[in-house]
Amino acid sequence: MIRLRSVARELWQVASIPLLAIVLAFIVAAVVVVISSTFTSTGFDVFLPFGAYASLLAGAFGSGTALSNTLVAAAPLILGGLAVGLGFKAGLFNIGVAGQFLVGAFASAVVGSSLATSPTPVGMPLAVVAGAVAGAAFGFIPGFLKARTGAHEVVTTIMLNNAAVLLLTWAVNDLVRAPGFSFPRTGDIGNSALPILLGRNVHLGIPLAVLTVFAVRWVLDRTTIGFEIRTVGQNPNAARYAGMRPVFITALTMTLSGLLAGLAGAIQMLGVIGFYAPGITASVGFDSIAVALLGRSDPIGILFAAILFGAFRAGAPLMQIETSVPIEVIDIIQALVILFLAADLIVRRVFRVRAAKPVISELATVTQTWAGGTSPAEPS
Amino acid sequence: MKRLLAFGLAFGLVVAGCGGGGLGGGGGLKIGMVTDIGQLEDKSFNEFSWKGVQDGASAVGGSAKNIVTKDIADYKQNIQSFVDQKYDVIVTVGFLIGTDTLAAAKANPGIQFFGVDQFIPDPIPANYQGLLFNEAQAGYLAGIVAGTITKSSKIGAVGGREDVPPVVNYIKGYENAAKSVKPGVQVLVNYVGDFNAPDKGEASAKTMIGQGADVVFQVAGLTGAGVLRAACNAKIWGIGVDVDQYQSLPDAKACIVTSAEKRLQNATRDAIKRFKDKGKQSGNFTNDATNDGIGYSPIRNLNPVPAGLEDKLKQAIADMKSGKLKPVP
Repeated sequence: MIRLRSVARELWQVASIPLLAIVLAFIVAAVVVVISSTFTSTGFDVFLPFGAYASLLAGAFGSGTALSNTLVAAAPLILGGLAVGLGFKAGLFNIGVAGQFLVGAFASAVVGSSLATSPTPVGMPLAVVAGAVAGAAFGFIPGFLKARTGAHEVVTTIMLNNAAVLLLTWAVNDLVRAPGFSFPRTGDIGNSALPILLGRNVHLGIPLAVLTVFAVRWVLDRTTIGFEIRTVGQNPNAARYAGMRPVFITALTMTLSGLLAGLAGAIQMLGVIGFYAPGITASVGFDSIAVALLGRSDPIGILFAAILFGAFRAGAPLMQIETSVPIEVIDIIQALVILFLAADLIVRRVFRVRAAKPVISELATVTQTWAGGTSPAEPS
Repeated sequence: MKRLLAFGLAFGLVVAGCGGGGLGGGGGLKIGMVTDIGQLEDKSFNEFSWKGVQDGASAVGGSAKNIVTKDIADYKQNIQSFVDQKYDVIVTVGFLIGTDTLAAAKANPGIQFFGVDQFIPDPIPANYQGLLFNEAQAGYLAGIVAGTITKSSKIGAVGGREDVPPVVNYIKGYENAAKSVKPGVQVLVNYVGDFNAPDKGEASAKTMIGQGADVVFQVAGLTGAGVLRAACNAKIWGIGVDVDQYQSLPDAKACIVTSAEKRLQNATRDAIKRFKDKGKQSGNFTNDATNDGIGYSPIRNLNPVPAGLEDKLKQAIADMKSGKLKPVP
């Protein structure tokens, strides 16, 4: 019993700030909704946020299909969140998940459509692997640049996001455009689609994403590489002094991060979208950063954060149908969550909590790597 | 801590108490619209399709709701949400959502689907109709304007891609009309091969302006923003496409004369009326001059408007209605 209580206390210490940030974000967004209701045809409505949140909840968890929609939306966010979180562990801020996601999605769409008539056990795994490998290759570039030249990964990954979009638009237009459609897109993936396990849309990518959570956790906590990644993240100089290879670890972490992002793109492509076309947006890429921050880079935390963000996506349609509250409110809530995480003093003042940890270390990465943190390529 | 729990509990209770609401609209048809990626108030496809859906709903005594799409991965679920809520008519906007709309139409034969700007390949389900537009007619109207206002007898048109038929149709209509109102006019046409490259559009338009063109017509999506920018910078006239770009592209307000319009609002409104009056709609339905499906935006920036221009345009629309005038013979 005492043990249970101490576990609960420890959990509260870790999770209190993120949870309270979410609560506060909902409250502030409610105020925005009430104010905005005065500009609509229905007029001022104090209870609108309650109706909207109730629909949001019902659309995300209210039924079997709602629950499966939440899981489908969460799956790519789990993998994308892991990609960003893994980078944070090594002191790297991978903003390039959006680009790596698209490259992975594209690769799996191309391989998947070319194997559309092969049996599923052949085409599907190959298409998934293609996406992961392509994402890894695209993640390797900024990793290599950082390791070799010290080029900051924030700058290179932002640039590479644009490079990915333009490169893939060209590729779909001129290299792999499928005949028979009025606009440029890749062919149907046919048999390469991820099998539906349950109901209408619960596909194989969902258990795959959950398994990856535990795989990443195992690598970080139980392997030498994981230990090196964490050590390099905490202090590259100490790591070098201890005989580790910060340069190698930096390149490796970005590659693994890209692999996870590419995998996210692959399961989204093979499980939901089905074809690649210019104009495909990767909202997953940027939501993943928020997921990793909210989950505090911990794989289990990321799992829950991704389910929360997936629930937002899944519940939004019902909210729009039933209350006509626009989907932008979801963006506001997500942004507020991150704002309150960054300014956790506000959260602690409002709710009068004393957190054990003074700062959230992942946010320290985001701000410190930028402000002249130690670079692994520094001459020793 | 206690205070916090109490607060959370109270909040939860209020939320739960308000659940189950949101019914409304009363009887009549339930009409849902799923937008293309972007905003609802985009002064373009989403906004005007939605206005038409609202008009249609009130004309048939139904109710209308929309879901805004933020990511291509959400198309399926957004459509499915209306299906689950037992909607009678579902309108989807843009060609990108066509694949998912076709799949949903096959899976739900009891629901009527309309697809704005979606060409449906055979076999077409009995409950799915694509709403297309006669671009050649709209382009013809733009051509009349260009042919009338040009002083240098040289006009230009910048297209997105030559292998996209609607783009070519617009430009052919434009070319033929300009030649009909001003014989001997020279029409410079360039396809830049890209719908998302404003810089290429700007470069292409600059070349035409350098060759003496004093009106340019853009049929190139986002690339066209660059075309109109070049026109404004060179202080010549620009003509917009699809929707009234004087509204949708404020940067080009200074030089837009008119736009070759797809009347999206009429198209979705009439589609809903057709369904109400005649039941299930199928096939690819073309909106043209006969049903007010195409047109030109209000003439702007011309001071004064050349004598007879509006008359010529009205006459052309009347002739296209009667079938006497074929923009592309």
